[in-house]
Amino acid sequence: MKDMLKISSRLGLICAVAAIVLALVNSITAPEIAAYQKKVVEEALQQVSVGYEIGEEITSEDETISSIIGINKDGDLAGYVMNITANGYGGPMVILASFTSTGEIIAVQLLTNAETPGLGKKAEDQSYMTKFIGSGDSTPVPVKKSNLTDAQADEISGATVTFSGIAKALQLGSSHAIQLGGTN
Amino acid sequence: MLKEFTKGIFKENPIFVILLGLCPTLGVSTMVINALGMGAGVIFVLTFSNIFVALLKDFIPTKVRIPSYIVIIASFVTIVEMVMHAYMPSLFASLGVFVPLIVVNCIILGRAEGFANQNGVLVSILDALGMGIGFTLSLLLISLIREVLGSGTITLFAMGSFDGVIEIPLLFNAPMRIISLSAGALLVMGYLKAFFNWYSSRARG
Repeated sequence: MKDMLKISSRLGLICAVAAIVLALVNSITAPEIAAYQKKVVEEALQQVSVGYEIGEEITSEDETISSIIGINKDGDLAGYVMNITANGYGGPMVILASFTSTGEIIAVQLLTNAETPGLGKKAEDQSYMTKFIGSGDSTPVPVKKSNLTDAQADEISGATVTFSGIAKALQLGSSHAIQLGGTN
Repeated sequence: MLKEFTKGIFKENPIFVILLGLCPTLGVSTMVINALGMGAGVIFVLTFSNIFVALLKDFIPTKVRIPSYIVIIASFVTIVEMVMHAYMPSLFASLGVFVPLIVVNCIILGRAEGFANQNGVLVSILDALGMGIGFTLSLLLISLIREVLGSGTITLFAMGSFDGVIEIPLLFNAPMRIISLSAGALLVMGYLKAFFNWYSSRARG
């Protein structure tokens, strides 16, 4: 019994010290991390809305779309930038994508993700998203490997889960943009 | 004492001889840069966990030593992750995904259990550095083979006008894709292990 008490109190002490140290480090680093994350989102927002002015934020009713911001051209509402959560191979991925009001994909950026480096992580490259850009309006968003060209299918081999996660999120965003409509 | 340092690089190489830490090895060895990042992370965490395990070896009760080591290792990994995320965001962007993987790297727990809890602080540091460097070199070898054959590139850190990617002629246009996939990891690992076995048995005579 005495032994038991000694063991548990020592393990408890180790855990308590570890928790205190971690809490201290976290309280110092958390604001820095939040500021950095905010900067990343702002930069991505600038990039996906090239050629448009950033308009007002619209409240989102869909759970997987965490925010919608209208983008304007010549003062008129021309499309939307959406922050969409997709399901990847390594858990949720955050995608920032812009759509015209007719649902056409203008630009896509993959933000926070935990995809496998060398495979799914390639989706962070700008060139990866070219297979989606321009679709969603008259041509459907490619959600299956069979919708892609051979070269594109090769590019995603080994990371099909990442691809279909992004594709489904973009399809959702596109149909949401059509639903919201616009002035043109 | 120097023996404690060099044994991790050759004689007791964690990957090819004692076969520890294979999951991260097979998982991240698709690009050379990943090997460098993972290696640096493991060297750092291994050194600090060995120091603390060696310091606390008389305080930690034998019956709960494994949970205690895990708490120590996980704390260091979390600290590294938070500090890196806050102050070195560009480094975190490229290495961030590997950091949590270090917690489950068997090499670290293996060295805490197999070495640091019976030895002094100084030798434990040497052991950690040797094992860490041995791990990094092995990982570098596997990832070099896999990236060159599987993708036809060698990816290093981007510096100035150099984007960090060296393209190998011929292989870049027609890479052996299988080598960069999971099956390729096992194949390369198996052939290398066979080669080192053959080499060391020949050296022994």
